[in-house]
Amino acid sequence: MQTSPSTPDTDLQADNLRRAAIDKSVRGPVLFLFTNGAFWLMLSTLLGVLAAIKLVEPEFLGDCQYITYGRLQPAHINALVYGWGVQAALGVMLWIMARRSGQELKSGKSLLITAGVFWNITITVGILAILMGKSTSIEWLEMPKFVWPVLLICFLCFAWPIARMFGRAFRPEGFMVSTWYILGACFWFPWIFITANVALHCLPGLGALGAGIDAWYIHGVILLFFVPVGIGAAYYFIPKITGQPIASAQLASAGFWTLAILGGWTGMQKYMGGPLPAWMSAIGAATGVLLLIPVGLVGLNHHLTTLGKHSAVAASPTLRFVFFGALFYPVSGLILALNSAFWTGAGLQFTQSWYSFQVVSVYGFFSMCVFGAIYYIVPRLSGCEWLSVRLIRNHFWFSVYGVSTIVIMSLVAGWQQGADLNNPEHWDQTFMNHVVNSRAYVVSRAVAWALISFSNFMFLIHLLLMVAGLGRRSSAPTLLHHEHDDHALPAHA
Amino acid sequence: MMNFRTFILGLAASFGIPWLCLIVIPAMKYQQLTPVAYDKEKDGVEGFYPPAPINGQGQLIYIREGCNQCHTQMIRPVQLGLDGWYKGWGQDQEARPTTPARPNELRDYLGEKYALLGIQRVGPDLANFGWRAPEAAKLHVHLFAPRSVHDWSTMPAYTKLYKVQKIQGPASDRALKLPKKFAVPAGYEVVPTPEADRLVEYLLSLKKDYPVPGQAAAVAAAAAPAKK
Repeated sequence: MQTSPSTPDTDLQADNLRRAAIDKSVRGPVLFLFTNGAFWLMLSTLLGVLAAIKLVEPEFLGDCQYITYGRLQPAHINALVYGWGVQAALGVMLWIMARRSGQELKSGKSLLITAGVFWNITITVGILAILMGKSTSIEWLEMPKFVWPVLLICFLCFAWPIARMFGRAFRPEGFMVSTWYILGACFWFPWIFITANVALHCLPGLGALGAGIDAWYIHGVILLFFVPVGIGAAYYFIPKITGQPIASAQLASAGFWTLAILGGWTGMQKYMGGPLPAWMSAIGAATGVLLLIPVGLVGLNHHLTTLGKHSAVAASPTLRFVFFGALFYPVSGLILALNSAFWTGAGLQFTQSWYSFQVVSVYGFFSMCVFGAIYYIVPRLSGCEWLSVRLIRNHFWFSVYGVSTIVIMSLVAGWQQGADLNNPEHWDQTFMNHVVNSRAYVVSRAVAWALISFSNFMFLIHLLLMVAGLGRRSSAPTLLHHEHDDHALPAHA
Repeated sequence: MMNFRTFILGLAASFGIPWLCLIVIPAMKYQQLTPVAYDKEKDGVEGFYPPAPINGQGQLIYIREGCNQCHTQMIRPVQLGLDGWYKGWGQDQEARPTTPARPNELRDYLGEKYALLGIQRVGPDLANFGWRAPEAAKLHVHLFAPRSVHDWSTMPAYTKLYKVQKIQGPASDRALKLPKKFAVPAGYEVVPTPEADRLVEYLLSLKKDYPVPGQAAAVAAAAAPAKK
């Protein structure tokens, strides 16, 4: 625990005890979500390597029907989004909300664990079903249709206590913006998820409109679930570790509300020039570009908050991950704008830049922020400190370089593909130029996912050791640029 | 700043408006969309638009295998992309068609549960593949051994849709005529399973550029002077 019994200040001590009690109350569900999420992350990155290889060399590992690109790619994305993304997000949301609202998780811990178990079983069945040939080919909803009600109920089991904590502790003044984002995520995800699933699975068939709704769903989950959780974590941990208050409450509030207002409109520009009514993709394109406003506001606020505190970024693993995650947020906004605007989007449509956007927002931005959060939260729950600076450092650098490689390469590949597709000289050619020119980029994607898998392997092992209580018994946190000073305070286990 | 109720109402309103305008109302309107009858005098054709439902059985295989990861089924208008001018991507299979293949419309996908517009364009667009498709036997060879058609192809070989069987008696007339490099051992033959047949039927039925009622005449009129 982070309690320091030697401090004379009784107020501080009472505060520490209260925090320890809150941590203890959410310990089980949060650690469960993180460990299972880390397993899915590991699997998803391995599937990413395999999918990228299959896209270059379809005969790799033979003509096995279970691992063609058309089945691997959805399995990879679904493992990343539902296995890792939503699960890790719920863990972070639960912990931050409990801490911010100062509420212990009173009851229903076993319900949360049960919901978590069901979530994992359902995802396992769903992803196996994709590989076995039960895919629905609806992007991000490829798992068979019996999956979604279970996932929804499991999600609501978590969202309800989180919203309750928010409601009980709501104080109009002095309430931090991080909880707004987290409550927003609790609120938006079920709404988007129900809408998309009812429309695509229960209604008698929406044809091309269904494709538009699916594109809207993907953008909604990214912009109104993953992004709020990432920003919420950044708004919580950056001030906490730098010791600076958030630079501007007005910027924070404006950033939140512009995202809330714009986020629901975007998505259908994915099929610009397609069969959807033109106003739908036009409004999606416009909001896709306008979303640069909340991105800029949040980015500016984070920049002003960390100004002059960059030494903390070097030392604290949490801040380092969150800081770089927060740097990826403007990048993801920029890629969204590039994909959305008709001017650039027409060239980037149906190319790898779409993958670039998914990876930068789900992995580059969201996951990096969540890694930071996990490096902060887990020692407080497991009662021991991270074992190895080297493992954390490797995890960080391999992730940063790996994700940057995938994002940049996919974007450049998208530009290349667009240029090949729209090259008038290719009008009577086969797709040879197209396929051959994009090959190198996909190879780099495979290499980058392999590096990331390697880093995730270290992360997973490290996390499992921590959860098993085998971390360092010390009261000094594991920092990246200082020697551990185990003797400054007596170690109490 | 604001109380809890205002906050929740703000969230609900800010998301509810796009939800209603972009999803709910269009979905309700879509339900009322029906095929339109052609006007014999104006359009020069009879029947309904869109004329034929797609081959649902074959589409299930297409969906199952995730073909839409790499193939789109959507022709974009000429101001956005070259799609319409690609050789053979429309009804007109001539080397230099007089008009580009028309961009797709909402009704083109009427009757499909979910339009497979596609995710990436790793391979060519298939919206009007039926027009340029080779005969069924050649398409089977393409699906069984894509690299027998193009050695640079990155399409997976769907060998599990085919049965490699020992030749007993006379060789099956449905056996694939594979090039030497991809041939199966002597004494064996490759025959399509019913699933492969359905998939090929579906691919051959992909002709999503039927004339749009009211527009066909205009397009023909615009094209006619250009020919002079």
